[in-house]
Amino acid sequence: MSLPRSNYDPRRVCLNPCPNLNIHLGKHRRTVGVYVAGGLFALAHWIFLDAAILSSHWKPPPDAPYDSAPVHVHFVDWIPGILSTLGMLIVNLIDKDRIKGEDYGDSRAVWRARLFLFIGFAFMAGGLAGSVTVLVIKYIVKNYPEEFTYYGYANVSQNVALMLSAVILWIAQSGPSDYEYNLSI
Amino acid sequence: MAAGLKTVILLSFVLAVGFLLIILSCALWSNWLPLLVALTFVVAPLPNALFSHCGSDDFSTENEGSGPVDLGRFITSLIVVTGFALPLILAHAEVIKPAACIMSIIGGGLVYGTILAYTAAFKQDTEEF
Repeated sequence: MSLPRSNYDPRRVCLNPCPNLNIHLGKHRRTVGVYVAGGLFALAHWIFLDAAILSSHWKPPPDAPYDSAPVHVHFVDWIPGILSTLGMLIVNLIDKDRIKGEDYGDSRAVWRARLFLFIGFAFMAGGLAGSVTVLVIKYIVKNYPEEFTYYGYANVSQNVALMLSAVILWIAQSGPSDYEYNLSI
Repeated sequence: MAAGLKTVILLSFVLAVGFLLIILSCALWSNWLPLLVALTFVVAPLPNALFSHCGSDDFSTENEGSGPVDLGRFITSLIVVTGFALPLILAHAEVIKPAACIMSIIGGGLVYGTILAYTAAFKQDTEEF
């Protein structure tokens, strides 16, 4: 087993190989992982849509029938989820063989793969950070009652679930087909 | 062949009960939104059926997935989770009653289980030849 000899190999997308994830879930690991990732993806979007539907169907309490809701789910709340979904799409559109360094293409293709991997992860992290920002600035700082801060928490959990879904999908798809294969991103 | 016939009759019975539950959950409260659950679960096996022919050729082993097959599985589990989440969310927002939510979930599970069981039974039958 021969490693690339220099400390910088231009054909590799990432310098540090990931530690070999020895997750042995049997031969159905890939199938189960993809199913779980899809379920988490749907769950994430339904959690947020739950908040959006609750917000649009908000009714005033019976003892004060002319109250109006202090806050609604607006387009600002949708932006982090859209960013995370875009990032997940970008990350998963990259050819896995290219990233693993098996397919020795020209260095420009590797450079492009590296760039788009960075952009995708930046979109996902930006979505997560943006959801926390919306939660704090729009809901927590203004001291809304609990039924309204739920919108913000739903937003955060949407983005966390999207990120988990991307991670599970990545592990499921790029796991070792042989047991002595080194998983490297 | 008699067992196969019995299986088909039993499965069609379960399918009918599932659709009955879904339609009852709509009709009893005259709110026809839970009918979307039936549509969702009927569509659910479609991506796997479409994409399962894309990736596998004769040289690849069965469990080694490829991109299109993975996409099909991803969309399938997305649709299945949607089918279970939709009535829950409608009930949470008080658009439908909780009883209608439970009935449509059970009905949807029966419909999807019927489709899965039918696929499995059919596959076993073809392998026997």
